[in-house]
Amino acid sequence: MPSDSKRITGPETTIPYHYYLSDFSRKPDFKDPKVGERKNGRLPNEHRPVFLKTGVNSQAKGSAYLEYENTKVICSVFDPREIPNKNEFSPMGELYCEFKFAPFSCIKRRGHIRDAEEKELSFSLRRALEPAVCRHEFPNFQVDIYVYILDSDGSDLAAAITCASLALADASVPMYDLVTAVSVGICRHLQFVDPTNEEEQLCKKTASAESIDPQAVITLTYMSTLEQVSEFTISGTIGVCHLEDKIPALIKHCNAIYPLLQQCLIKNVKKSLGKKKYS
Amino acid sequence: MASVLLNDAEKTFILHGVEVDLRCDGRRRGDYRPMELETDVVSTASGSARLRLANTDILVGVKTEIDVPYPENPEEGKLEFFVDCSANATPAFEGRGGEDLANEISSRLSRAYQSLPLAPLCIVPKQACWKLYVDILILECGGNFYDAISLAVKAALFNTRVPQVTGSFLDGGSVDLEVSDDPFQCWRLDITKAPVLVTLSKIGDNCVVDPTAEEETCSVASIVVAVLDSGSLTAVIKIGEGSVHEQTLIETIKTAQKIGVELNSSLMTALNQEESLGPKRQRFGFLK
Repeated sequence: MPSDSKRITGPETTIPYHYYLSDFSRKPDFKDPKVGERKNGRLPNEHRPVFLKTGVNSQAKGSAYLEYENTKVICSVFDPREIPNKNEFSPMGELYCEFKFAPFSCIKRRGHIRDAEEKELSFSLRRALEPAVCRHEFPNFQVDIYVYILDSDGSDLAAAITCASLALADASVPMYDLVTAVSVGICRHLQFVDPTNEEEQLCKKTASAESIDPQAVITLTYMSTLEQVSEFTISGTIGVCHLEDKIPALIKHCNAIYPLLQQCLIKNVKKSLGKKKYS
Repeated sequence: MASVLLNDAEKTFILHGVEVDLRCDGRRRGDYRPMELETDVVSTASGSARLRLANTDILVGVKTEIDVPYPENPEEGKLEFFVDCSANATPAFEGRGGEDLANEISSRLSRAYQSLPLAPLCIVPKQACWKLYVDILILECGGNFYDAISLAVKAALFNTRVPQVTGSFLDGGSVDLEVSDDPFQCWRLDITKAPVLVTLSKIGDNCVVDPTAEEETCSVASIVVAVLDSGSLTAVIKIGEGSVHEQTLIETIKTAQKIGVELNSSLMTALNQEESLGPKRQRFGFLK
């Protein structure tokens, strides 16, 4: 792995002090949370409040900011440009997605160079957005999409996908549909829609090897008008029977977020039309 | 993926074939191509396997080394995947050409393998653990990487022998390990929690198992499902540029799960069969 020699990095190996806290190594107590009760008073199938804003970056063609309480994401989309280092003609335009955590966004400090997890999330982001963009409209060009997680408190991928789709629309990149994404965490009989970091950890911590209880985080990306699933990821272990009813439930949540994106974009258009009237 | 050039007529031919449940090579939609699997093909690796699935050729080598556990999981070992898309396979992989695909496969694999318990790989908590480097070499592309790679990886892990640690001494904060010098004194990994990946490519209105490179070109979206022995899923991955309908997704996952369970059991049968031939079995290697 080539390292960026021009940047002053922190010390080579440091460990966040959180790992030494007495309750860190404690195995989560499954009897503790009751069904229908979450730490922050939410219902199991309640999404956090959504805040959306477009046009946050004046230098980018389009940009968006999204907030699910403590999960804060900013995304910029830049003008199509020629695909660098490519000789042959590509009939479809390309999306270049970069998913990056701010160094201070997680418990553990993130490096400036993208790590394996960030690369994987970049792939998922690209797979989620590709079906929604009319890529044949800009052959041989690529659109750069940069997603930056400013503060991570669970559902990062879902937040990033929704934010990127809003930014793409704001950048007037031709699209078939807006995409929205929602995550759900499953741990035994508990489910957490739009999990926070703590809930995600609970769902990811592998229980005893013999258990067949479902434990997973599922992220689903949906195009509401086209009724198509554009990306679907699972991490964890889950049986098919548990999956069957989660997919329609997730789609319902995606459909609920969809009008918020539309409203945000309409408000934007109205605002810019209003400005024109007076200038 | 390394793409094959096909014209519209050829694509339509494949599409119509899939529609009537008869594919170009005479298979039905749910059939796999014949596979050849051999383990213990590399003498310098702790475990290795070579899998040939029609025209897809995969070589996997596992190396065991000693490392310090991650501070967040002090009682677990480490497992890492590296994929090398050799330019032998297609000229498109030359230089850094195969890097994107390699990164994608290795990150997806490590996600699917999260179910494998790593606690047995710990030697001294917080101090020393085994790290397994799983190096995957793609020698020839004939479609369906994910399935072929996952089978080869599982076989190589089955074949892996981790040396026995006979003693460990804590000397002023640093650990001294004593590894048994008898090469036969070693233990094997429990791979019941290792998944196999099943790819289903959507061609037209139907899904096909084990797509060839030509069929992959005709498909806009594929679903890869990681299935355990028990039938549980550890990962679902969508590859390709297209999207799928909700119902298709559910149906595909269900089909893939059924196939995955069968695939797991036939892989284990084959591995046990090879094992029962003993250490003096005839080795074929690459000269077949």
